[in-house]
Amino acid sequence: MTDASLHAALAWLRKQPDVRYAEVRLVDEGGERLRVRDGRPEQVTAEASRGVGIRVLGAKTWGFACSADTSEGALLATAARALAIARASGAVARKPVAFPEQAASRGVYETPLAVDPFTIPLESKLAALDAPVRALRSGDDRLKSAEAWMDWTRQKKRLLTTEGTDVTQTFTFGACGMNVFASAADGTSQRRSYPTWQGGDGFQAGWERVTALDLPGNVDRVKDEVLALLTAPLCPAGTRTLLLESSQVALQIHESCGHPTELDRALGSEISLAGGSFMQPGMLGKLRYGSPLVTIVADATSAGGNGTFGWDDEGVPAGKRALIEQGRFVDYLSSRETAAALGRASTGTMRAQGWNRTPIIRMVNVSLEAGAAGTLEDLVAATDDGLLVATDKSWSIDDIRLNFQFSCEIAWEIKHGKRTRLLRDPFYTGITPRFWGSCDAICDERDWRLWGITSCGKGDPMQVMHVGHGASAARFRDVTVGSAS
Amino acid sequence: MTAGELLALGQEVLRAAGEAEAELYVRVAERGCARFAIGELGQHMQLAEPQAVVRVARGARVAETVTSRVDRDALVDAVRATGRAAMLVPEVEAFPGFTRGDEPAGASPERYVAATARATPEERVERLAPVLTAIHNAGLVSAGMLETTSVAQAMATTGGCARSHDSTTASFRVWALATPGAGGAAGYGGQVHGDVGALRLAEETERAIRVCRMSREPTSLDAGSYDVVMEPEAVTELLEWLAAIAFAAPEVEQGTSPMAGRLGERITGDGVDLVEDPLCDDPALGFGAPFDREGTWKRRVPLVEKGVARAVLYDRTYAARMSAASTGSAQLPTLGSAGGVGPTSLMLGAGTAASVDDLLAGVQRGLYVCRLHYVNGLLEPRRAVMTGLTRDGCFLVENGKIGRAVGNMRFTDSLLEGLARCDGMTRERKAVPTWWSDSGAFVSPAVRIRGWRFNGKSQEAVAP
Repeated sequence: MTDASLHAALAWLRKQPDVRYAEVRLVDEGGERLRVRDGRPEQVTAEASRGVGIRVLGAKTWGFACSADTSEGALLATAARALAIARASGAVARKPVAFPEQAASRGVYETPLAVDPFTIPLESKLAALDAPVRALRSGDDRLKSAEAWMDWTRQKKRLLTTEGTDVTQTFTFGACGMNVFASAADGTSQRRSYPTWQGGDGFQAGWERVTALDLPGNVDRVKDEVLALLTAPLCPAGTRTLLLESSQVALQIHESCGHPTELDRALGSEISLAGGSFMQPGMLGKLRYGSPLVTIVADATSAGGNGTFGWDDEGVPAGKRALIEQGRFVDYLSSRETAAALGRASTGTMRAQGWNRTPIIRMVNVSLEAGAAGTLEDLVAATDDGLLVATDKSWSIDDIRLNFQFSCEIAWEIKHGKRTRLLRDPFYTGITPRFWGSCDAICDERDWRLWGITSCGKGDPMQVMHVGHGASAARFRDVTVGSAS
Repeated sequence: MTAGELLALGQEVLRAAGEAEAELYVRVAERGCARFAIGELGQHMQLAEPQAVVRVARGARVAETVTSRVDRDALVDAVRATGRAAMLVPEVEAFPGFTRGDEPAGASPERYVAATARATPEERVERLAPVLTAIHNAGLVSAGMLETTSVAQAMATTGGCARSHDSTTASFRVWALATPGAGGAAGYGGQVHGDVGALRLAEETERAIRVCRMSREPTSLDAGSYDVVMEPEAVTELLEWLAAIAFAAPEVEQGTSPMAGRLGERITGDGVDLVEDPLCDDPALGFGAPFDREGTWKRRVPLVEKGVARAVLYDRTYAARMSAASTGSAQLPTLGSAGGVGPTSLMLGAGTAASVDDLLAGVQRGLYVCRLHYVNGLLEPRRAVMTGLTRDGCFLVENGKIGRAVGNMRFTDSLLEGLARCDGMTRERKAVPTWWSDSGAFVSPAVRIRGWRFNGKSQEAVAP
């Protein structure tokens, strides 16, 4: 029934003389969101959303409309509404949108799963969260609050375009983690999380990923660290050699490379919320973004990646390409329209949050390639004097992605190749190309891990998106650090 | 559908589903979003946002379903499926049950304007055309959005609670830019109102153009403490983060809120009043429904009075657990984010200054800040330490007068400690929509804060 409705809407659009391109996208998703806090179920939510978004390129510009009603009549009306919007907006267009043709794509993509998470009983999932939460709270009155979470989303997406694209994709996204808060007698509070901050722990996989995370096996370490932080000294201010553990490198990539290489930002289409980019088209191939050790790739094909897919929402096949090649800025995350503005081909990154949002350029898996500095402990051993920071706590970067500041949950001082004292409330700040230019060591594949951000915000109205970042720990010289307190 | 029709639907669904203890909240938003950038209306969208949130309790075992399908049969299925899930869930400590029919309700504020609800794509384009032209003629690049939204929402419980409300919101945001995406001079204007006809598009556009022109050739300023005058758009960005960390019962219980254990104590300056005021009857300041997702009638809650922490916000469950009454502050879960507890209409009290110029007159050497960017308040929540940057207009103030533009600066400071150094606020206040959610708009005057701490600056250009 829905299939016929989709085709009917597309057929109607094909007949309209001023429709240059149109896409009809069905999104049908369901999921569950589970949270256990301090021994009680804080959230047990099942989710379902279904509808169709229709984007039309008229004689001059775009129109978008959507409908939760997927009947033929409703989708014909939605198609007509999208075209009417395109026509209305065309009245004030100064020039027609340039939109290059794309060969039709056909096929199926599906997240590979070992164990389908939707076959695991709800009570088993809640029990898997409840046990570590109770353990995190036990044994010390200063352990004030603990939480564990697990989210699963299955998204089915069908894309039809006037160019003949017909692709069906089924994604299974997950996230799982835990954290604990401890409070000292003076009221100060510290948090420690595993495997990383909530929202940075996403993946595209099945229940096997939860098993591998082993929440119970990490409870004791997390508790020990959060209690130690209560009495740890503040991170001293200064200019230091800084080691970022893998998940913090992932967030550093996200904010200071992923977003500024979005071509819509660079061209000015995203000013109204997110801002622009210092990485302007004239710098392509010229800008020294980082040290020669730094190669950052956009890979929508990474196995298990939060940003992995078969085709983007304009029907462009997933691919892999360098954004930063040995420190030099070489490419953007782009769409068909924005890439055409530079005379290039789309890098296939247009995605919408759901059926009732229009596609925009989104990160895929934007990852730092592994280096040759061994494991994290090898890197610590090779550092005479520095700081190792882990697990993001706050994040901020300016509107062209130059000046950033991150604070982390924990820091260790490194002296003569060894971790020494623990430090609390560390933050570091810098200017993007100067920071990446100071990168002088990157750990190898043994430390490399593909992280996933579950709620990257962009667009207006806001859209959240699953994106991925692979990284191993890395070292940066002469970084400004301090304490947030 | 109207809110009344949604309520009738919800009540029929609950009857048909046959669950003994159930709650159904239904919200249908129709949003017309005309988004423009680089001088072109490139994203003009008609967005449908239907959402139903079903909760079913079996004793104190509670499960929830969020769905975009709001037809009768789908909702009946959702209620029944939620009931089955509830049997598998551990008990919620101190679960008070769903709202009963005899719980009090007040007068419903009139927040529906037909002209906003009926605004067509052609009408939005017609209103925006002069905006695009004005900025183009000024030799600048435009960006922004005009949005007209209508929301019908209703909730019902098997215990007889029945609520419904129709509302509209029209908002306008505009940027005038020297360059489209590379940073540099920029000016902003914006306004929100229930009535699209009350939006002053030309005035806000002129403001954006004026600030952009003033922002050219910025000077660079060293890090340090500066007296600042912040426009409401800057202050509300800070208030959004304060709302996220401070006023909700879960954060108080967790011990991370700056209010935790401090009710009755002074936490900021004695000139600071912060109120959750969702029933405000000023159509320029108050938005949304007068009840929360649980059906609790919202009320005015003084959170901070003359700098003293007075109250925090609760939903029904946290209220029962913490021996308080719900403040009507239960927030909706959305696809992709958990619900929770928090303010929707946080308002910073007005001061006595007649104008921003009056505030500036009291600054020997400092900064005039039009907006902030990417504020984050998670550095040290107990002190409300926040970091962020200036954006869309930052100017040196010398001897009470606005002078040269200043390149964007990074601050890191405690908002509560900063407000303790606040010695001036304007009488006039402005509502600014919260940017990261649909939860409403926050209201603030312009403020003057002494010794706001800046610890860095952005770079205006990077050489290839």
